[in-house]
Amino acid sequence: MTIGLAHYLAVAAILFTIGVFGIFVNRKNVIVILMSIEMILLSVNINFVAFSAYLHNIQGQIIALFVLTVAAAEAAVGLAILVTFFRNRGDIAVDDASMMKG
Amino acid sequence: MSPQTLVTILVFAPLLGAIVAGLFGRRIGHVPSMAVTTGLLFLSCLIAWINFVANFNGAPKFLVELLPFIQIGDFQSTWSIRVDTLSSVMLVVVTSVSALVHLYSWGYMAEDDSKPRFFAYLSLFTFAMLALVTANDFMQLFFGWEGVGLASYLLIGFWFKKPTANAAAIKAFVVNRVGDFGFALGIMTVFWMFHTIRFDQLFPLIPSMLNKGWDFAGQHWSALDLAGALLFVGAMGKSAQFFLHTWLPDAMEGPTPVSALIHAATMVTAGVYMVCLLSPIYEHAPVARDIVIMIGAITSLFAATVGLAQNDIKRVIAYSTCSQLGYMFIAAGVGAYQAGMFHLFTHAFFKALLFLGAGSVIHAMHHEQDMRAMGALRKKIPVTWAVMMIGTIAITGLGIPEIMGHGLGFAGFYSKDGILEAAYKAGLSNPTANFGFLVGLAVAGLTAFYSWRLIFMTFEGKPKWGAHPHDDHAGHHAQIESHSEPDTHGHDDHGHGHGHTPHESPWVMLVPLLVLSVGAIAAGFVFAPYFIGEDHDAFWRGAIFVSANNHVLNEMELPAWVTWSPLAVSVLGLLVACYFYLLKPELPPRIAAQKGPIWTFLYNKWFFDEIYDFIFVKGAKLLGDLFWKVGDQKLIDGLGPNGFARASLEGGKRVAKVQTGYVYHYAFVMLLGVLGLLSYGIWLAS
Amino acid sequence: MMTDLSSALMICLPELILAVGAMLVLMLGAFGGERSTGAATMFSGAALIAGAFAAALGPHGTLFAGAFHMDQLAAYSKVAIYVASAFAVVMGYGWMNRSNERKFEYPVLILLATLGMSMMVSAGDLISLYISIELQSLALYILAAFQRDDARASEAGLKYFVLGALSSGILLYGISLVYGFAGSMGFTQIAHAIAAGGANHGVVFGLVFLICGVAFKASAAPFHMWTPDVYEGAPTPVVAFVAAAPKLAAMVLFVRTLSMGFFGAHEQWAQVLLVIAVISFVVGAFGGLMQRDVKRLLAYSSIANIGYALLGIAAGTQLGVQAMLVFMVLYMIDVTGFFACLLALARNGRPITQISDLSGLKGSKPGIALAITALSLSVLGMPPFSGFWAKFYVFKSAFDAGLWQIAIAGLVASVVAAFYYLRMIKIMWFDASPAPVDGSPSEARWIAFACALFSFPVVLIALHFLDQSAGLAAASLGLH
Repeated sequence: MTIGLAHYLAVAAILFTIGVFGIFVNRKNVIVILMSIEMILLSVNINFVAFSAYLHNIQGQIIALFVLTVAAAEAAVGLAILVTFFRNRGDIAVDDASMMKG
Repeated sequence: MSPQTLVTILVFAPLLGAIVAGLFGRRIGHVPSMAVTTGLLFLSCLIAWINFVANFNGAPKFLVELLPFIQIGDFQSTWSIRVDTLSSVMLVVVTSVSALVHLYSWGYMAEDDSKPRFFAYLSLFTFAMLALVTANDFMQLFFGWEGVGLASYLLIGFWFKKPTANAAAIKAFVVNRVGDFGFALGIMTVFWMFHTIRFDQLFPLIPSMLNKGWDFAGQHWSALDLAGALLFVGAMGKSAQFFLHTWLPDAMEGPTPVSALIHAATMVTAGVYMVCLLSPIYEHAPVARDIVIMIGAITSLFAATVGLAQNDIKRVIAYSTCSQLGYMFIAAGVGAYQAGMFHLFTHAFFKALLFLGAGSVIHAMHHEQDMRAMGALRKKIPVTWAVMMIGTIAITGLGIPEIMGHGLGFAGFYSKDGILEAAYKAGLSNPTANFGFLVGLAVAGLTAFYSWRLIFMTFEGKPKWGAHPHDDHAGHHAQIESHSEPDTHGHDDHGHGHGHTPHESPWVMLVPLLVLSVGAIAAGFVFAPYFIGEDHDAFWRGAIFVSANNHVLNEMELPAWVTWSPLAVSVLGLLVACYFYLLKPELPPRIAAQKGPIWTFLYNKWFFDEIYDFIFVKGAKLLGDLFWKVGDQKLIDGLGPNGFARASLEGGKRVAKVQTGYVYHYAFVMLLGVLGLLSYGIWLAS
Repeated sequence: MMTDLSSALMICLPELILAVGAMLVLMLGAFGGERSTGAATMFSGAALIAGAFAAALGPHGTLFAGAFHMDQLAAYSKVAIYVASAFAVVMGYGWMNRSNERKFEYPVLILLATLGMSMMVSAGDLISLYISIELQSLALYILAAFQRDDARASEAGLKYFVLGALSSGILLYGISLVYGFAGSMGFTQIAHAIAAGGANHGVVFGLVFLICGVAFKASAAPFHMWTPDVYEGAPTPVVAFVAAAPKLAAMVLFVRTLSMGFFGAHEQWAQVLLVIAVISFVVGAFGGLMQRDVKRLLAYSSIANIGYALLGIAAGTQLGVQAMLVFMVLYMIDVTGFFACLLALARNGRPITQISDLSGLKGSKPGIALAITALSLSVLGMPPFSGFWAKFYVFKSAFDAGLWQIAIAGLVASVVAAFYYLRMIKIMWFDASPAPVDGSPSEARWIAFACALFSFPVVLIALHFLDQSAGLAAASLGLH
């Protein structure tokens, strides 16, 4: 069995779904959410690279590099916001962030 | 400066005055805000006369396009100033009367404590009116139309602590809405037909639209007739024509200078002006013109008869205005737009004069408006008497025809005879115009009667004011402090100065009266040859369109009775008034006391208010009650407003409930959204 | 098309000004500390104004192999965005002064977010689209949590960040699918691919993901959930910023992407957008009914208004795009005025946030009460205020495009929404005031008055110019 484009796409789709589920099924820890976000971005990167190889088009690999960079920046910003949240609340439980509603 | 710059200044000077007095009036004080508005208005007036004279000497018409307003597809509207003979005449009328009224108000409103507001409203009105008369498309015309309506509403309700004034203001507003609805429909019809609302683009297209219309009930209905009739509904509202006239007499609750400016000389003539401006449409809309004649004639007859029995000095003049507006519509309807405009022009002078004179009388009588409580004022207020005499001679059209070429008389003589002659000529081929002529003739007699009645009751006979108890005067005066007809003299001299005897008004009020008297005397004599006489083509220069088969203004030999009968009926009216009010002054009160059917009918203004109250107000209430009790509460409320409100609040609660505050719920909603849209998108694609 | 470097740099001069400006301000702040906040603010304002001039007057063209478009559409949007950002900088400085938190990072972040938006409206391929959206979003996440010691602000920042990152993931997944199935990142190449092979399922799949991602940035329902919480929690000047410029940027991004890249799939995306529009104005209208917090209320109002603006895009005509552009700019002015009014109001040093706090405002602050009234009437679409013309334009374009059922639904929704604006007006003018209101800061007051005056009567004159430039901008897309 040769591993074709469809396999890569399937893996990416599964990873993407796991990442998305990680965001709203997890009710404990905001850190897990950050990890889920990272997972989503990386699953997309699999897509990009797979398509790039399949299409013989370099653009997919370029954006993959961009995505990695942005993911790093996003993690930094996310952690920074999480830190301020923790300093105000003393907790990072997801359920905790529900002061505002309605 | 170029004429373009001048007219721009002309139009915007009143707006500037209104802004200054309206926004900063309290800060800069009463006298500066009055001075600014009045000064700017006199500036406008000066420019208007310069422009008029230039136009007179053959200056070409022009158009100043200031700014684009609304431009959507074919619907192109531009803020612009259109100057031709028609608008030049209106500019002169509006700014002259307005400037004089501003000046007059210095005296009349001297004791009011919100003078800046009053002057700001007056100037705002003037600006809106100028925007109306200089409009080059229907949109600006409508803007001005609504602007004067707004200013009129504000000024009628100027003494907003008086419940009657508020009621009158609301009535004026509501009745005018009915007219405006027709007007808006008319504009839409025009736009639908021509795909443009600009006059200069629209008028040349009219000949190509003559046959446009519908076949309905076996007859051909012309679209131009429909447009003309709908637009005339707007004119009916603004010019207080029959069915929509009820607001005008009530509008007298406003201060008297307002009545003179808005409800006599300018705003109410907007309808006439519009019909003349749209002469290219009306010339090709015979049915619409017949409607104009009929409504005009009925209004003039109706208002004149009601005027016979009224006792409030301002209401008499108000009904007189209504009646004279009917005259102007008769003129426009028979095709003599020039005569209509001429009557508008002269009427502005003598009617403003009569109103301001009445204001002076009221002022002299310490806010007594009932003529039965007046009498023998001639000696007390001679100047007012003299100008009122001039105004009355002018409105009754006294003058001798057929001498010195055009005859000789005061202003009203020329314009009224012009209208009657035109109606007669048109009547040779059009029975409706004949009706207009006969009614016009009858109304001339009635006009003479009620106008002289006013003079005689007010100025002649025995004084009735001495016996008039003034016990309530102190209380009345306390009211003046805040909101009521003001009074020029101080409160101190009121008690022991000249007491309750009438007194002449101060010079700021008399000067405008004198100026207007000059107009009332001479406007006809000077301008008749140009407006309606042999020079009319050279004077109007196409500003009014006259179709090839319209000869109502052309020279024609008239039977002697046509020429002389207006004078005859007017003298007859004078004599009858003399008999009743000079020779046998005890007769009228006796007639009134008997409360005969005719007197009751007239005194109650043909029961129009009662009928409207019965049909529209009570009827609506009855209908409302019916629906309310039968089906509304259960059915419509349940499903409609209340149900809708309840459902809305329910919906609001639902939405708020979804917004739980938990991030994972938010993310879940987003995901649901993605999934839903995804399935929808894929379903669409396949 | 090859362009030499100097003219290429001229074409992207506005972005260069912002980028270099942001770095300089950062340096200034890093070395000067808190004292330099005033200078940083001034410099940022100057950079934004200079950028606006450069965008308005500079040359047009396409750069970097089609990744960056500078045309009338971009110029129009950039000028509006830069001016709105400049207002946000000014309002933020006044607010920081009052709350004694002078932070030079605020103008830097605004500049960076503006740079992101500026690139969003110019984005010509999927890479620049993604990068510009991320640049904008990252700056906005930080701004939302800017008040570090405020629990609400940090919660708002956290929610915004988490959901924003999720939406970026969705967007990116969509981009990857579009790339894979259309074979390229550039809009023009994608358009060619769709023209050649039709819109296959893969492309539509990716496109829907992409639309969802951008809809989040525009706060269109059902991706609006972050909006009320962020509006309520984030500092008011930040919300004033978030509520105005990014919305326009997202809408222009929508227009450019959909009409340049995916016009071949118009039938599909127009339907998807219509669904989003309807949900948005329904949620916005109903959600606002129960609100007690003014900022939350305005959040729902903005959701509804995005729904109306989307109608213009869904129409898919040049007139529709023009209507959307006019609508968005008029809405930005209204909403900036609204938040300026809120900034101008405080009681005992605490900002007013509850609607009930507005009661009796006519007595204590008649000017502000009048401004809020004018702006409310405008947003609810009362003629002759600016909001009426805005709605008139989009509804007309929707009618013209045959979307009359949707337009009528929009009208009904705006009637429902009228309730909450009118209630606010009623509370201000007819209810009794509980306690006196503090003196209002001048910068907020002036911005509030200026916006209120714009909503009426200035709009009557300005509308013509706005309409004209929006028309030019819409024409640059080459629609019909």
